[in-house]
Amino acid sequence: MNFNPEPFDLLGGAADWAAAIGSFVGLVLLVSIVTALAVHGVAGPVYVFNRIKAGFVDACGVSPRRTWALASLTIKEAVRRKALMVFVVFAVLFMFAGWFLDDPSEHSDMQVKVYVSFVLTSITWLTVPVILLISCWGIPEDIKARSIHTVVTKPTRRIEIVIGRMLGFATVATGILVMMAVVGWFWTIRQLPDDVDLVCRVPVYVEQSLASDPNAPLDEAALKVSGFSFKDREGNLKPTGINTGDVVEFISYIEGATKARAIWQFKKFGTQYLNDKGQLRLETRFQSFRSHKGKIATQLLCQLNFTDKSTGKPVGLPAFEVAEFTQNVFELDRTITYFDADSGESKQVDLIDDLVDNDGTLRIEALAIDSGQYLGMAKSSLFIRLPDRPFAAGYFKAIFGIWLMLVLIVMLGVTASCFVKGPVATFLTLSLLIMGQGFREFMLRLTGEEKMIGGGAAESWYRLLTHMNPKQELPDTLGTDVIESIDTFLLNLLWIVKHIVPNFGNFKLSTYVANGFDVPWSAGMLPGVAMTCAYVIPCLVIGYYSLSLRELEAK
Amino acid sequence: MNKMSSQQRKIAYLIAIAVLMVPIIWLGMPSSEEEESGGRLAQLRQEYDLGRSDIGDVDPTSATMNLILLGMRGVAANLMWMQLEDQKDHKDWARMRATTDAIIKLQPHFMEVWRYNAWNLAYNVSAEWDAVEDRYFWVKEGAKFQMLGSHRNNKYPEMCFDTGRILGQKIGMSDEWRYYRKYFKVDPDTERYDDGPDGEINPTGQDNYLAAQKWYQDANEREEKIDQHIMARPLFRAYPFRCQIDYANALHREGTFDEVARIAWEQAFRDWTQGFGKELLYAWDNVEFYLEASPEDVKALAKRNGVEEELINRLIESQIKTTNYRYWRVLAFSESKPETAAAHRDLYNGEQAFKSGDFTKAQKLIFDGMTKYEKVMNDHPTLKIENLAVETGMWSIMLWQKIYQLNNKTVPEEYPLKWLWVKEIKRVPELQFNFNREFGSS
Repeated sequence: MNFNPEPFDLLGGAADWAAAIGSFVGLVLLVSIVTALAVHGVAGPVYVFNRIKAGFVDACGVSPRRTWALASLTIKEAVRRKALMVFVVFAVLFMFAGWFLDDPSEHSDMQVKVYVSFVLTSITWLTVPVILLISCWGIPEDIKARSIHTVVTKPTRRIEIVIGRMLGFATVATGILVMMAVVGWFWTIRQLPDDVDLVCRVPVYVEQSLASDPNAPLDEAALKVSGFSFKDREGNLKPTGINTGDVVEFISYIEGATKARAIWQFKKFGTQYLNDKGQLRLETRFQSFRSHKGKIATQLLCQLNFTDKSTGKPVGLPAFEVAEFTQNVFELDRTITYFDADSGESKQVDLIDDLVDNDGTLRIEALAIDSGQYLGMAKSSLFIRLPDRPFAAGYFKAIFGIWLMLVLIVMLGVTASCFVKGPVATFLTLSLLIMGQGFREFMLRLTGEEKMIGGGAAESWYRLLTHMNPKQELPDTLGTDVIESIDTFLLNLLWIVKHIVPNFGNFKLSTYVANGFDVPWSAGMLPGVAMTCAYVIPCLVIGYYSLSLRELEAK
Repeated sequence: MNKMSSQQRKIAYLIAIAVLMVPIIWLGMPSSEEEESGGRLAQLRQEYDLGRSDIGDVDPTSATMNLILLGMRGVAANLMWMQLEDQKDHKDWARMRATTDAIIKLQPHFMEVWRYNAWNLAYNVSAEWDAVEDRYFWVKEGAKFQMLGSHRNNKYPEMCFDTGRILGQKIGMSDEWRYYRKYFKVDPDTERYDDGPDGEINPTGQDNYLAAQKWYQDANEREEKIDQHIMARPLFRAYPFRCQIDYANALHREGTFDEVARIAWEQAFRDWTQGFGKELLYAWDNVEFYLEASPEDVKALAKRNGVEEELINRLIESQIKTTNYRYWRVLAFSESKPETAAAHRDLYNGEQAFKSGDFTKAQKLIFDGMTKYEKVMNDHPTLKIENLAVETGMWSIMLWQKIYQLNNKTVPEEYPLKWLWVKEIKRVPELQFNFNREFGSS
């Protein structure tokens, strides 16, 4: 299982957000001013700025009481529209889920994975359509039924209507989600056998991998800086190990009985990583690959080595059999006894005083022992395991991720419904959801630094029409320059689209819990929180101006 | 312009509905347990065995799911297949297993889906794991999956055949066969299965080959009604009888040379000659014949079929070659003799002594075994050209020669089975490869 949580770069994210918003606002302003100039002449831009000013005034004058009144009406409306009927589907699904999932012969860790994934996925995909529909149809239905006139004719601001709607639907989503989450939690606990150890592990991974910077020189300085790196069979530093034929190159392998090593370096290591008993708990999740049959009855052997900072010699832990697709856990006392091959004696070292170097780095090397056999590992295959947390901690954090997603869908749905009718708003929000969920990778590839084979849209058309091979260079003419300029412009537009379409993958925290981990703040929850927060202001602004400018008499 | 009043229109509709009900009921009325009951469609379903319950056990979840998906079953199945491949590439076994189950709910009567996934679990996924216990777990998963498929689809002989193949060949012939055969009787998960077998695949605690035999027999029973499409019919029909030979052979491979093994070989000989040998096979125009036919039998068969004796003889000879019938016959016969068991015992014990490093003992035992085995081959000349028998002889010579090499001594000029070594010298590189695989390169 590929599992590689990377910490979220909040500052980078904020900069991206500012750039995207800036571009978008700039574009909208430009279009508005030009249109206003064309329609109203010189007075046009003044009119635009007056509208902006009015928006600021409205935003400053929001009344929490009125907003909540609108929100409570929204809740009542959602209940009246039978949004809570989703519970019936939920109940039916969970009543019969056992038929699909029950397999008493399965490994317990596999059962946990399947059950937890099922519960969290079911909750997500049951709530999303309901919330999406009610949030997209609320305002258009009000406009159609003209009930919105009873609101707008009262002393309420349009922004309060938008906020009230969002707040109301978000509350409904919260209610539905909380109830489902609690039922799902009890269901999971009840379904799983008693012997299953339901905990959330708290890992500490090394930072930056050497492979993450392809231009980094492969020398001792790079090794010192990198958190994770490899050495090949001759002992040369490498960013990755050997691929033994895996389709997905997440795991790299080291060859047994050679100088090949995988190296993890934990920076700023200290007593904060030791548990109550003063022990360091390490967990490894390695994979095995045999190039010959070897000893069938025993699993491949691995050894973990520390480095003695005074002598630079390896301090080896006893070799262990690799438990594949599960984990090996080591609880190391602060005083480590090891066999020194040079002197032929057992020696003792202190984990902190002798093995952590002067920069505060603890270096751990893994080596395969069996000749001709290979062990596979990735950055996240070895970590320090801090005291476990209860299963509920991770489970409800994953639920929080779903909640953030629902809130975002509510914001998008309400915003869309402020400027288009219900069906179109639904279609728009659904499209954003699908693009953000399934086509994210595709968009990233299109807008990435690497040029697509065959070029962009204009270049592709040119190649199609002229039957030109995608590998063939375009002629150095003015036409080529024009084509490339068009593609650059389109790609820049796509860059904006990429930043406008939310990455719904950030809300999928079930992977952590299903794999038995707690959801980390930086790599897990922060991207979701940041994503949702990033959409609050744009959605409110677009919603408010759209509703302000909308002709409410039109059905 | 319609001049009927609203009430008249309603009455007209009611009459039209009533009239239309007649063909609907005539066509679609469901059948009860009795024969010829129900509407025309139900009767046709019964006649051609097309009802869900005729195909096999009905899985309510599968039926529900297909109903809920309406016409989107194909799309959903495709998506799940893509997901399955992705999960396999990412080695996400737990979810891959769940996806497999979900696919099968959507395609419960698609034979190749069952066969592909069962093979995937028993052969491909099991090979991805390093611990033998884990590998065995996945072999079991594949076997269970295939068994379920056999129950759900009681028309396909291939399904039972594949179950037999996993229980027989996969458990009995893979690199880990020693462990798998042991685990088949006492599951490694001793806590869950209380020091016994996994009842789902081995409810009576049988030997794996004998368990496989039952499935092959079921496959043969099904094949009598519906053709199989995986191999020539005589080969297919031979499998249940081969199981007894495989079982007896496995006893020898495990070092059991006592009365149990001898009886197993005797039974194997009886099964092969009186069971498979008397099995009716068919050639063109439904000409019937069987392989264990005496000249009198051939005459009778020729008369019954209204053809020349020569034709029957040619048919028998052709199928004897296809199924290697004579070799298995001679093998079962010779192995049931005490002198053959003695030869195997010496060779086996010699190999064990070789593995433990007791070369003096190994040399003597293997030499004795070679001497006895030469006599067996001379008594049953058919064995001299048959693969398994030749391999046994060549392997023992190689081990015996290796002992000389390890002791830095020259192999004597003359030794038992030398003629075999000279005749089959082309096999040496392959034997050397297997030797290196078993003992490491020398």
